[in-house]
Amino acid sequence: MSDPEIASRGAAGSDADRTDRAWMDRLAGGDLGALDRLYEQYGAMAFSIAYRITGDRSAAEDVVQDAFLGAWRNAGRYADVRGSVRTWLLSIVHHRAIDAIRRRRPTVELPDSEGGLPDSLTLPDAWGEVELRLDRAAVQVALTQISEVQREAIELAYFGGLTQTEIAERTGVPLGTVKGRLRLGLQGLRAALRLDAVGGGSDG
Amino acid sequence: MAEHTFAGLTCSDVAELAPAFVLGALNAGEADAVRRHLADCPELHAEMAELNSVVPALFEAVEPVAPPAYLKAQILAAAAADLETRRAAAATGTPAARPVAPAPGPRRGWDLGAIFRRPVWAAVAAAAVIAAVALGAWNVQLRDQVAGLEAYRAGVVAILDQAARPGAQLAVLTDPAGAGGQSGLAAVAADGSVAIVMRDLAPTTGTQVYEAWLIGADQVPVAIGGFTVGGSGTASFTTTHASMGAGVVVALTLEPREGATAPTPPILAAGQAREQSS
Repeated sequence: MSDPEIASRGAAGSDADRTDRAWMDRLAGGDLGALDRLYEQYGAMAFSIAYRITGDRSAAEDVVQDAFLGAWRNAGRYADVRGSVRTWLLSIVHHRAIDAIRRRRPTVELPDSEGGLPDSLTLPDAWGEVELRLDRAAVQVALTQISEVQREAIELAYFGGLTQTEIAERTGVPLGTVKGRLRLGLQGLRAALRLDAVGGGSDG
Repeated sequence: MAEHTFAGLTCSDVAELAPAFVLGALNAGEADAVRRHLADCPELHAEMAELNSVVPALFEAVEPVAPPAYLKAQILAAAAADLETRRAAAATGTPAARPVAPAPGPRRGWDLGAIFRRPVWAAVAAAAVIAAVALGAWNVQLRDQVAGLEAYRAGVVAILDQAARPGAQLAVLTDPAGAGGQSGLAAVAADGSVAIVMRDLAPTTGTQVYEAWLIGADQVPVAIGGFTVGGSGTASFTTTHASMGAGVVVALTLEPREGATAPTPPILAAGQAREQSS
């Protein structure tokens, strides 16, 4: 087989995941070639996410470098999680980027502690993702299926690093409304991305 | 679902906090309470896993931005240095020669990547700009440092490239005494050609040369060539010697003149070459 096409793996993800796992084994064995491949596969996406969150190229470089070196050092522990390498790596990039912006922002709320794995990776059965279409086109369509205010709340939380209380203050709506928007937004995305969704929208 | 209370939260509370939790949008106290509840609660909290499964999709919503081309080389260089530190520690059963901070932070021990890091780079570059409007030796010295860093970075990329070829080996060169800041990389190709890049070397004066040595299984150092170093402290050097097999040690000394047949102590930097890819 040729290189795994991770970005659009969808239901066929298991093959890609197995290939990923083989890479992680090589990574854990100190194989620089495997790190090279990991970067080729995910480096651009990692940088895009880090840049989206930090808005700063040099900060994004630091985040990506720290995340890949973290992967390099901790690849042996990857066997403990059940998800895809893609989600594992990009979640770590996300986590570090959020830490970076929270550190430089005065905040009335105590930010969540640094370090450790992102919660998204430690939840029991976090890997319902295999039932979802995660390719770019599907996600773009799904994002049009939820309301503008739901999308805004999710983005402020996930890419803005704001707590739900801070989102309420920022957008001038009650906390309960923000909670509702986050829940309905995530549920709406999930419904739109389900592989078994009827009329899930294959095109625009 | 039955209602339990752990960490001061009922299962209903946790369900209500779930969307913000999976998005990382709770404050530290709330997130910690949710974590502790989940750790102890016998309920499955399926809503948590369901909502969490959507989160990786959000990565696809991000506008692609190309990373700088040098980022990969930086990461590989830092990883190579990290690998060498780990191997040195494993080989001796003690921490690596350089004191290592106990915290499992991202930058432990000798971190080649750190020298490329933007803050350092930016600081040197900014200093060079300031120096350009000042006058005198400072100006020259800082321009040398900037040029040196650029040359070093280019050299590292070239070395990593060579070390990735079939049968090639990579050595990370550090000061065995842990005293000096000089360090570098060497690629030993299958055909015996050796490429070395070094930084933070003291400039040579008079007839002095830095001499590179290969030390094989017989423990006899073989001189493979010398080079001089200017104010930048960086050097990039390629030579050829009959292949001495796997695990050869690459070492560097400062010699009073060219043509040394035995190394003059101390060894300034050394590292064992190893194959990087299977």
